[in-house]
Amino acid sequence: MVGALARVSLLIAMQYRSDFVFNGLTGLLRTAALVGPLLLVFQHRETVSGWTGPEATLVMALFLLLSSMTGALMEPNLGAVVEHIRRGTLDLVLLKPADAQLLVSLSRVEPSRLWDLPAALLLGGWALAQMPAPSPWGVIGAIIAVLSGLAAMYGLWLLAICTSFYFVQVDNLRFLLMSASEAGRWPLSLFSGWLRVVLLVAVPVGVVTTLPAELLRGRGSWEMVATAVAVGTGFLVVSRLAWRRALASYTSASS
Amino acid sequence: MIRCMRLVPALVRFSTARVMAYRAEMVIWILSASLPLVMLALWNAVAAEGPIAGMGQGEMARYFAATLLVNQLTGVWIVWQLNYEIRTGLLSTQLLRPVHPLWHNAVWMMTALPIRALVMLPILGALLAWRPDLWVRPDPLMLPVFALSVAMAWALAFLVQATFAILSFWLDQSIGLFGVWYSGWALLSGYVAPLALFPDWAQRPLRFSPFRAMLGLPVELLGGFVSPREVGLDLAVQAGWVLGALVLVRVLWRRGLRHYGAYGA
Amino acid sequence: MSVQVRDLTKVYQVPVKQPGLLSTLRSVFHREYREVRAVDRVSFNVEPGERVGFLGPNGAGKTTTLKMLSGLLHPTSGEVRIEGRRPQDRSVDFLKSITLVMGQKQQLIWDLPASDSFELNRALFDIPRQVYRERLDELTALLGLDEFTDQPVRNLSLGQRMRCELAAALLHRPGTLFLDEPTIGLDVEVQAQVRQFIDAYNRNTGATVLLTSHDMEDVAHIAERILLIDHGVVRFDGSLGELQRRFGPGRLLTVKVGRTTEAQEHLLTGVLGMSAGAAASWSKTVAPDEVNAVLTRLLQDLPSAEVSVGEPPLREVLTRAFGEARERREEGA
Repeated sequence: MVGALARVSLLIAMQYRSDFVFNGLTGLLRTAALVGPLLLVFQHRETVSGWTGPEATLVMALFLLLSSMTGALMEPNLGAVVEHIRRGTLDLVLLKPADAQLLVSLSRVEPSRLWDLPAALLLGGWALAQMPAPSPWGVIGAIIAVLSGLAAMYGLWLLAICTSFYFVQVDNLRFLLMSASEAGRWPLSLFSGWLRVVLLVAVPVGVVTTLPAELLRGRGSWEMVATAVAVGTGFLVVSRLAWRRALASYTSASS
Repeated sequence: MIRCMRLVPALVRFSTARVMAYRAEMVIWILSASLPLVMLALWNAVAAEGPIAGMGQGEMARYFAATLLVNQLTGVWIVWQLNYEIRTGLLSTQLLRPVHPLWHNAVWMMTALPIRALVMLPILGALLAWRPDLWVRPDPLMLPVFALSVAMAWALAFLVQATFAILSFWLDQSIGLFGVWYSGWALLSGYVAPLALFPDWAQRPLRFSPFRAMLGLPVELLGGFVSPREVGLDLAVQAGWVLGALVLVRVLWRRGLRHYGAYGA
Repeated sequence: MSVQVRDLTKVYQVPVKQPGLLSTLRSVFHREYREVRAVDRVSFNVEPGERVGFLGPNGAGKTTTLKMLSGLLHPTSGEVRIEGRRPQDRSVDFLKSITLVMGQKQQLIWDLPASDSFELNRALFDIPRQVYRERLDELTALLGLDEFTDQPVRNLSLGQRMRCELAAALLHRPGTLFLDEPTIGLDVEVQAQVRQFIDAYNRNTGATVLLTSHDMEDVAHIAERILLIDHGVVRFDGSLGELQRRFGPGRLLTVKVGRTTEAQEHLLTGVLGMSAGAAASWSKTVAPDEVNAVLTRLLQDLPSAEVSVGEPPLREVLTRAFGEARERREEGA
């Protein structure tokens, strides 16, 4: 089911093949520009807030992974749902015999954003090679944290989609979410206390970027893994509930 | 030209109504441009162990407070607006009116400036409360210079975006191209890091680049980072970029319109 | 002369693209083009105050012609003069003397009340305030506008929006109106209102009206002269009546009978091949040379019947006209 949906979205996107190649090139240039500030910082300092250059690069790589996932899978769907609701074509989507949340979550995919993945792997690989080898527990914890964080971010975007059932003009919410997650490019310890909590619990970028990096550089603890799992499941459950409420209000509003 | 100026009051009235109709979206847009605050957090942490390139925590706060403000004062969205109008053919209805569409859009985007500045006030106030040492008494002579520089930065931002938008007459990917330009701009204009922190070999090219003319120069003027000896040359370079962009836009617009007329309106 | 068009031609270059990744990459460096002749040496003149309808199937070149006349598209060759001005120069005087209403595109800003757009056009077209007031009152009365002009356009019904579009497009009292599918998507009532309005505007101001439409009713009501365009070529130029006579399949005979016997019904449907319509009436389109014979027969066998002779529906006429044009083209090819 998921495979079939993804394939259709992929085909739509691949219709514009030259765009696909073009977006890949522009994506690489954008990544290069992202790394710029990192180079500047560590030209002046050995460590910042206890983070070395490679460690901060690892955070940046994880951020790229996240942004390519949100860009490819989550953000386009928010736009798609807003459009569906405006044009009244959401009915057609909901009539298909499958879980509506799944249909809506995968109704549009932007594969060109996956071009950020090679850059993320390259940066992450370089960073890990510069650091002492992480412990097996660290690696397992980091993987759990990344997956939980991605799930949490998915929940956040689904919540944003839900709001489009009540307010039509939520395109702009997209900008706000994107810019809020920008802060995740940097280790959370740079930020003051309350902002750190926000970036872990409200806009849970930190769960994908900083927590796994902490685990991989050997400063992790099992509490971190527990936090990640809690935030991930929390967002999944809450967004699922919100989705069902939104759906109920949608059908009652249009009939 | 005289006709254009005569139409300004009516365009302002109309555009103000338009800005007010979109005020909620506008506020979200403005708040989305909060990256300078993130960068401030980063550079503040870096400068905690002592000043770098002559900038301590106070200077960093001053620099990014200025960036936040100038970025809002030079905010335009003509590249998306015009690209949309060209793609959907809505430009046709604009072309039937006896006013240049770019002029109409320019006035519209200028009327959004007061609301942008207004939203910034509480944020700047909060920054000042957090770090009182960011405040230095501005040199009264520098204020008109700053105003001139912001005006030119706005014009340059508008013209550069218009250039990319005009490319939509020929290209489907003009917005993507603008994205590339934007990434370069973010890194090299002083948006994510003060230009003073770049290595020595980069200083000269950065000083005369169009990126600095679009943001860095007015920011440095407001923050008091430019020595009075250099102001003249910097402003002249900025004016040069504005003129160059103006010529480019005029030429491209004329050719683009001919293309639009040849391939489909 | 209000509108002069001589040898007007528009050729589009359409990029040809083969499917497949390789050819896509190749097309980045080298593009192949195919020429599409949208309008081919069209010539006609329009007198001031005339109402002309462009008729033709989809892709016939109607809209392309209209867009060249309004200066949006540049002709590949040929000449256009609107009251002596070249449209593609887009001079301020020219723009003030024309208007283009597109049923599928709007000039009103979606999130603002129409009245704001009216006010903007007042300034853009240099309309003195006093004159603006009078015209707005007049348009309000003619179009049946009311307080809905103070609501954001997005909240208006399609009919309300179209009426506001017309008002915005005519505030500067242009002498030449280009209407591209002005009634598309509207319900019957609003369609009739729009037609009556255009009629009234033409009579009150003596403006020239050029119109394209799929809707035969539009054309029949608004246009007194018809230009039939097919594949970029003018196939016919003349009045509606001439069009009917030239391409019409004949006359439309309608028979109304109070009560019929079985034999009479057999005569009507079986022998004469008429089809039953509403309220005990029968009708058939009869070729011109058979009309007399059928009439005689009817008067003989159905003396009580009420027989009327009229024009067949325009739709039928056009189907035949384009069919004929196609045959001629195929013969030529």
